[in-house]
Amino acid sequence: MYRWLDDRLSIGKLYAKAFRKAFPVHHSFFLGEITLFSFITLVLTGIFLTLNYEPSIRPVSGPLSGGQEVPAAYYSILYIDSLPFGAVIRSLHHWAAHIMIAAAFLHMLRIHLTGAYKNPRELNWIVGVFLLVLAILTAFTGYALPFDNYALTATKIGYEIGAAAPWVGKLLSDILFAGELSPTNTQTIPRLYSIHVLWLPLTLIALISLHLVIMIKQKHTQPRYAEKVAPGKIVGVPLFPQQAAMMGILFLVYIGATTFIAGAFLAHPVEAFGPPTANTPAVKPDWYFLWIYGILQIIPANWRFEFLGATFGPQFWGGILVPTLIILGALAIPFLDYSKEKQRYLELPSRHPFRTSFVIGVLMFYIMSTLAGYKVDLGLSNELLWVLVLVVPVVTGVVSYILIKAIYGKEWNQEVQVELRGKGPATD
Amino acid sequence: MYRNDTVVPYFALVFSAALFLTAYLNDRFRVVHEAGAVPHLTVGNIGLMAFALVLFVYGFIGLLSNWLEGSELRPGRHEPEPSSLPMVAGVVLSLLLVMLSGFFVRTLIFANNPEIGYYNATTLQAGVFGAMMFILALLIAIYKKFFIEEEVLAEDEKGDFPW
Repeated sequence: MYRWLDDRLSIGKLYAKAFRKAFPVHHSFFLGEITLFSFITLVLTGIFLTLNYEPSIRPVSGPLSGGQEVPAAYYSILYIDSLPFGAVIRSLHHWAAHIMIAAAFLHMLRIHLTGAYKNPRELNWIVGVFLLVLAILTAFTGYALPFDNYALTATKIGYEIGAAAPWVGKLLSDILFAGELSPTNTQTIPRLYSIHVLWLPLTLIALISLHLVIMIKQKHTQPRYAEKVAPGKIVGVPLFPQQAAMMGILFLVYIGATTFIAGAFLAHPVEAFGPPTANTPAVKPDWYFLWIYGILQIIPANWRFEFLGATFGPQFWGGILVPTLIILGALAIPFLDYSKEKQRYLELPSRHPFRTSFVIGVLMFYIMSTLAGYKVDLGLSNELLWVLVLVVPVVTGVVSYILIKAIYGKEWNQEVQVELRGKGPATD
Repeated sequence: MYRNDTVVPYFALVFSAALFLTAYLNDRFRVVHEAGAVPHLTVGNIGLMAFALVLFVYGFIGLLSNWLEGSELRPGRHEPEPSSLPMVAGVVLSLLLVMLSGFFVRTLIFANNPEIGYYNATTLQAGVFGAMMFILALLIAIYKKFFIEEEVLAEDEKGDFPW
């Protein structure tokens, strides 16, 4: 059989070239794989969901809704939840989306903290930033699909931000929502469904493929010790069988842990809020939008002006301008911290106090902005929240910088030097 | 970060547990159990648990990677050291997997019963399925550790793959 295939497809050459590619070993590389496996889980569970979901709001009734007329999309969710293991698969789809975004975010933090975005990997960093943005957008477009009161209300927060974009707001909402987002717009759910299951996943698949191909061509940044073992070489295990075995183990552990949580904590039971009604429940957007929602909470309503027929209001400042500036800042990182030398090895975060403390400061900004999303619940004043959002991240960054320099003394700003013969020096 | 150490994975596991606990213990993030309402998670709770899950999987695989692959690679071939114990563990785990598979199918048949209103015991279903996945992962880990010949390559930086 092998010979028959080899005669026709030269699979021996494929094995020698592709399956013996060296994969360096380091625990931090698994964050990217967790992101990838989340996407694969989303596709697999998504296929099951598409087989049973009806993207329509036509009124239907049946035993699952107790004879009450509900939108077909809502009813199909009740149907999916009634199938054996169906509720777990739907919940797994929901959890995998959250995990993909969380893992991609942590993966980006790791890349940033270890300087792996530097020459020659600037392009892959940019692709990675777009992947994270696209993953969030894909999750957002799926949010309204269950068409319960909660999903519709939460989606409205994002819809209003998009619609507030100067000059192009209406065009954006027409493209994404087929007009105004309302319980009676029959075109919204089919439009969101098409974008969620076809266009955005296809774009994600294309970008993920590009991300992986670039990574394979440019090779991983390696742990620093590899310079001591084989300078100028990629020290790693072959893709098959060793790396494939590790990937298999990771996928199974990921699926096992996520499925357990998905079953024990159903992420979005539609019965909790019921089908859309005239009453708007008090809801918040998903956690990855909560920081934007927090900024919107603290921007005064009178920060508004008109320019060339467009309105620049709080939703523009908090929902569009700040996220856009952050995305542009992220894209610029490899060019602001440019290295002429090729980056071959992981840098130690402790040896780069400015970069590390900057990341800590940015993390604190996200945490404080998210906290601002609970302004009403916690009874926090606007003044206090402005201080928390603007001052605390800066103070945290400065304190981290001082601490790192104090702890590592003269070693700060110096990458670990390895001795090519004999024992390596200090480690982290 | 210098090598494939266990410090960061251990820290990730501790942090993961802390996030789970925060999600559970904080009243504002607790699972909603109002009278007559369907229990559901708040967005904050989901966020904390999503990060906790990522950190758990990352910490677990990080420690496993250290056990299976070591903290530093050295080019060459390394013979495995098979013994009776991993073989026995493999047989026991395989039997357990078969038992759990049967039980999992039983939970699906139970859920497909119109007399009980197609009730899904989701925690049980997911628990059994999750345990099956963990056992499969353990079986591969044991096979990799004790039965696969390990090879470490020192590949040229300018490889011609994929072009």
